Amino acid sequence: MPRRHSPRGARWLASNTLYYTVMTTFSLVFLVPLVWMVMSAFKTQQQIFDSPWSLPTSIDLSILATAWERGGFGTYVGNSIIVTTVAVSAILVFGAMAAFALSRLKFRLRGFFLVFLALGLLLPVQSYFVAQSSLLNAIGINDTRLALIIPYIGLGLSLAVYLLKAYLDTLPRELFESARMDGCGDLRMFVALVFPLIRPGLATVAVFSILSAWNEFLLATLYIQSDELKTIPVGLVAFTGRYATDYPLLFAALSIITIPMIAIYVIFHRQVTSGITEGTLR
Amino acid sequence: MKPSSRWTPYVLVGPAVAFFTFVVGLPLLGTIGLSFASWTGTNRPKLIGLDNFVRAFGDEVYRGAYLNTFIYIAATLILEVAVGFALAGLVSVKGKRTGWYRITFFIPVMLPMVVIAVLWSFIYSNDGGLLNSFLGAIGREDLQHVWLGDPTTALLSVSVVSGWVYAGFYMAIFYAGLQRVPQHLLEAAELDGASEWDLFFRIKVPLLRGMTEVAVLLCVTGAFSTFDLFYVMTNGGPDHATEIITTYVVTTVFRDHEVGYGAAMSIIMTVVVVGIGLVYARLRRGGGVDLEY
Repeated sequence: MPRRHSPRGARWLASNTLYYTVMTTFSLVFLVPLVWMVMSAFKTQQQIFDSPWSLPTSIDLSILATAWERGGFGTYVGNSIIVTTVAVSAILVFGAMAAFALSRLKFRLRGFFLVFLALGLLLPVQSYFVAQSSLLNAIGINDTRLALIIPYIGLGLSLAVYLLKAYLDTLPRELFESARMDGCGDLRMFVALVFPLIRPGLATVAVFSILSAWNEFLLATLYIQSDELKTIPVGLVAFTGRYATDYPLLFAALSIITIPMIAIYVIFHRQVTSGITEGTLR
Repeated sequence: MKPSSRWTPYVLVGPAVAFFTFVVGLPLLGTIGLSFASWTGTNRPKLIGLDNFVRAFGDEVYRGAYLNTFIYIAATLILEVAVGFALAGLVSVKGKRTGWYRITFFIPVMLPMVVIAVLWSFIYSNDGGLLNSFLGAIGREDLQHVWLGDPTTALLSVSVVSGWVYAGFYMAIFYAGLQRVPQHLLEAAELDGASEWDLFFRIKVPLLRGMTEVAVLLCVTGAFSTFDLFYVMTNGGPDHATEIITTYVVTTVFRDHEVGYGAAMSIIMTVVVVGIGLVYARLRRGGGVDLEY
């Protein structure tokens, strides 16, 4: 028995070693740029140029504080939090309301609304952002937080309605009908029954909408001019322009934005991965 | 189910439809309208019929943007979809611990594209850039290059970054598909003496066909709506070598204030994207076994 076992063990070991070597090499392709970014933040300009592969000689965390203060990242992060929170809350509430009506209630314009909202899944924002910016100008909210919050709500709703409707469609109809027998009206049914029931669907929509709003750049760069209203991506680009030659400071800024996101992702990776893939696949 | 009263469905749908009308519906109609007009954004719009469209078809930069987009699509089909597929195959090999690899490959997907674009501008940078110094370290100074500054390499360099970002995304969706491959199929094949290699190419690959088709469509239509990466890394340059439709529309509308012309270019692109989607959906109809996500 041991004689038969050992050659198989050796082959298994060899293939295992090969497998993990290949996989680790691939991982390095993804990790090296990020590690290089963080390391470079703690080097001097000269070290970044002369020895890009060496470890920093010392880790002085004050560079992060310097980048944070000089870049005014407190303001950008605050703006991103406000815009994302308001937009995502509205997407979840209004999306759930519409999904409930479109999934469970019979009414005349139901078919029309379904097709209309599907336009948002079909068309890229490039199809209509030219006139969208003029419209925001016309009602005078250009260069305010509303100029981002309102478009983010409208853009996020299509996906929210469709994902939540698909989720509601799978629930047994008896659930709703028996509530109705007990004299439960539509609005109370929504608050007391539907909203709690679709929590898993809401989580997916929330993850996807939070990341979309947090990372959005095209509209944010076109609609916001005042520095004190910029969100993180636009603020970062402004910062890059201002400190184009101060490499350590730039890498510090990139690290400040990236490291917390990676940390949150590693903790919630299951939710983040499924939120993004389901959100994109629809 | 019958609504409890006539107006409740409209109360429930109302806010969503109102926001959507304001953000998508009206702007879509507006963009169509503007595409037939000449407008600087401040003067009175003047109707000029099809002039904007005629101009777009004759505009070399605009046509070049489509060519660039198609090159970008070809590159990303390989760098994103094919590489993602291969990675999914690798992380689903039986009996291996792959949790951390899957987490690692997916990291770039959730980071802001702007951060990645700035980071990779440094990697490609001429002085102190990671790529050139890596080539120097392995003794290939001859390959060192001004990656983003040279029209012949700029577009491919940007495509590589796109691959670096989205390969992990496609890995994730293919991996989710592979998890749904019925276990008994694999076990039966193994009993018949199939190797890991056979399992992948004879069972898993055919079963993922439907999902691959979806991924290809996503990659193609997604290419038309990219913006951040190109805008931050090259903004269409050098000499329009990386000009894509959105960067050109943004320049036209927001720098040159030719709103009508920008609108017409947007509308043409919309027709192209929707057209590709419809043709593709028709071609796909009637394709054997399927594993829907």
